[in-house]
Amino acid sequence: MGTKNRIIFHIDVNSAYLSWEAAYRLQHGATLDLRTIPSAVGGDATTRHGIILAKSIPTKPYKIQTGESLYSARLKCPNLTVVPPRYHLYMQCSKALVSLLEEFSPSIQRFSIDEVFLDYSNMDIHWGDPIDAAHRIKDRIKEELGFTVNIGVSSNKLLAKMASDFEKPDRVHTLFPHEIQGKMWPLPVEELFMVGRATTSKLHKKGIFTIGQLAISDPELLTQWLKSHGRLIWQLANGLEDSPIREDYPVKGLGNSATLPFDAEDRETSHRALLSLTETVAMRLRDIRKFAGVLSISIKDRDFQSYSHQRKLEVPTHSTNILYGIACELFDELWQGQPLRHLGVRASQLHRDDLYQLSFFKGDIERQKALDTAVDKIRAQYGCDSVMRSSFLYSGLSPMMGGVIQEEEYPMMSSLL
Amino acid sequence: MKFTCSQKKLSNSISIVQKAISPRSTLPILEGIFVKAYKGILKLIGNDLDLGIESVLEANIEEEGAIVISSRIFGDIIRKLPECEVEVKVSDNYLVTITALNSQFQIQGVKPDDYPDLKEVKEYEPVEIEQSLLKEMIQNTIFAVATDETRPVLTGGLVEIHNEDINIVCLDGYSLALKKGKIDSNTEVDVIIPGKTLNEISRIVDNSDEKINITIDDKHVLFDMGYTRIISRLLSGEFINYSQIIPQNYKTRVKIDAKSLYDSIERVSILAREGRNNLIKLNIKEDRLIIDSNSEIGTAHEELPIVMEGKELLIAFNSRYFMDILKGIGNEEVYIDFTTNISPCVFRPIEGDNFTYLLLPVRINA
Repeated sequence: MGTKNRIIFHIDVNSAYLSWEAAYRLQHGATLDLRTIPSAVGGDATTRHGIILAKSIPTKPYKIQTGESLYSARLKCPNLTVVPPRYHLYMQCSKALVSLLEEFSPSIQRFSIDEVFLDYSNMDIHWGDPIDAAHRIKDRIKEELGFTVNIGVSSNKLLAKMASDFEKPDRVHTLFPHEIQGKMWPLPVEELFMVGRATTSKLHKKGIFTIGQLAISDPELLTQWLKSHGRLIWQLANGLEDSPIREDYPVKGLGNSATLPFDAEDRETSHRALLSLTETVAMRLRDIRKFAGVLSISIKDRDFQSYSHQRKLEVPTHSTNILYGIACELFDELWQGQPLRHLGVRASQLHRDDLYQLSFFKGDIERQKALDTAVDKIRAQYGCDSVMRSSFLYSGLSPMMGGVIQEEEYPMMSSLL
Repeated sequence: MKFTCSQKKLSNSISIVQKAISPRSTLPILEGIFVKAYKGILKLIGNDLDLGIESVLEANIEEEGAIVISSRIFGDIIRKLPECEVEVKVSDNYLVTITALNSQFQIQGVKPDDYPDLKEVKEYEPVEIEQSLLKEMIQNTIFAVATDETRPVLTGGLVEIHNEDINIVCLDGYSLALKKGKIDSNTEVDVIIPGKTLNEISRIVDNSDEKINITIDDKHVLFDMGYTRIISRLLSGEFINYSQIIPQNYKTRVKIDAKSLYDSIERVSILAREGRNNLIKLNIKEDRLIIDSNSEIGTAHEELPIVMEGKELLIAFNSRYFMDILKGIGNEEVYIDFTTNISPCVFRPIEGDNFTYLLLPVRINA
């Protein structure tokens, strides 16, 4: 790694949630391709989930933003088609993408549900010129999986990622170091990876509006203004980044949160909502074969005040019942009695699930494990609503909430620089 | 009420009774220290209803009386005073004036009438035990007390008194610690004492061979050192039948010096810690024990000479639990008995039976 001959691909699914939904619908007999009309994946406004999660490219003229309310999106574009999110479909598509990519390189890093890094270094002996290979990969994904991707090609992860963000959809772009000045420097500084809203406004105040202006600034001064982050973004602006492709333990944490259809005013309802979220989180943990080492919960009250609380687990686990018990304890310590509109459960400090401390009371653990495995199997085959806990009957709550998928935390390139 | 006494003695007594005071109590009066001056002595009490501690000290009592004073404020003031005589005076409206050399403090106290009495404990004959023995027995078992509330009885230690034998047993899901001692008694009683109480007792008693009296009834236990009395609620319920889970046979027996094994594991666990799960692997060979750990940042490897009997074995543990046990054993040779790599291993003394430790391994590639 870190040699001159490194070739890195960044594969980015175009409007992922929407493309996947569209591809799924076409494969199941739909005649209309959602990608060709103004459309969006959004929650259900009647249960207060009315925000845009993803949007098609034809919505561009309407200037609809991800995260804005359906109501305001419809004002901008009255004929917008809105479809509900489907987490399982996304996981399946993401897995299919990765397994196709695995044919081309043994070194692959899943960066998020719809972004993958692939190390193509020295692979030209097998698959030929990198640019040709990128085109072939892109076309195979389109043909076999039914959705389009952008592929960025460069000599490190940062530049590959920046390249895949150029013109969309269904394109291959390169951004090699000699192209930085022409292709990356003219871009607005907020397009640079790791430059968020707060940093952008600080940079604007100092008269830095493009990536190029940032790149030629004095790194010492940037360090004084923005601490270590200043040096980091200066390096990125100059295309300096050499973190390896990480195949191991890609996920740092995962969680789900949901706005309830109605405010939870009592402990029992809140616990039930936590159970519903824990069902989803624990199933996803088992899916990636990881134990949670830390469990945290978050709550948001009627006034949109958020609070959170977390605990390190003495024994890491992915058992729904054990995690639910801990989530309830955390909730009871955190909750002050106010009505709640939003709850979240997340797992972090993930451990491999193939080694675990045995217990004198292992009967319990083995039984929980058998139960979880059985339920997971049924749900995988017949759908998530095929088995549910009876406490959700007539509760007004879905038995497996996870309305908003919290972005998986993959190790950031920055933290590994 | 008015008394004078030495800053050092008063400060010492305050820190003892503070061990029973929780900073946030549902009964606000329990956040205070009960102070009573009478018959030439001063008595301080801290109480959280589960645990009560009373400390008596000599003082020059000029006027008898009682008061409850904020534990935190009173403690901080007395601790920060120089070593000298301290005068404490309480007016009729419970205003407390503390005077020492150049310092004077006035704080509002609380009427003592509502302060709950410490429970009286008298049922069985008191049992006498040396302070140093009790301290050692607690310190070498308390690490195995359960910290989670899933099985409330396991948050306490089982104390078994069978005539001249006393056993303390602590047990969480993964390890068991059993220490045996000898005492003067003709009582037979088993009680479960909360882990917090045991912890505080091990801190209050010293390393002397002076005796401490233990009195037990259905709900409470009293530890009486004369000048200090500790009264604790007992945990109700049945303790786990621990003798059933101690394996009697073994397939592999290792004889090893506990201290050198501790040192090796401590070194290896520098890397095991990095892997977050404290995983160490023990590879038991005929003449040596190989200890390995690896994590993202590197690997560690140690080899120790052993005397082994039985089959070779590869087994994995959480180094933290393993070290807790070895620390309890201290500086002597020990037998470690194994059956399989998914069943508990047992630590036994070479001679006698004054301790037994049990530890469950980490299952790999389940």
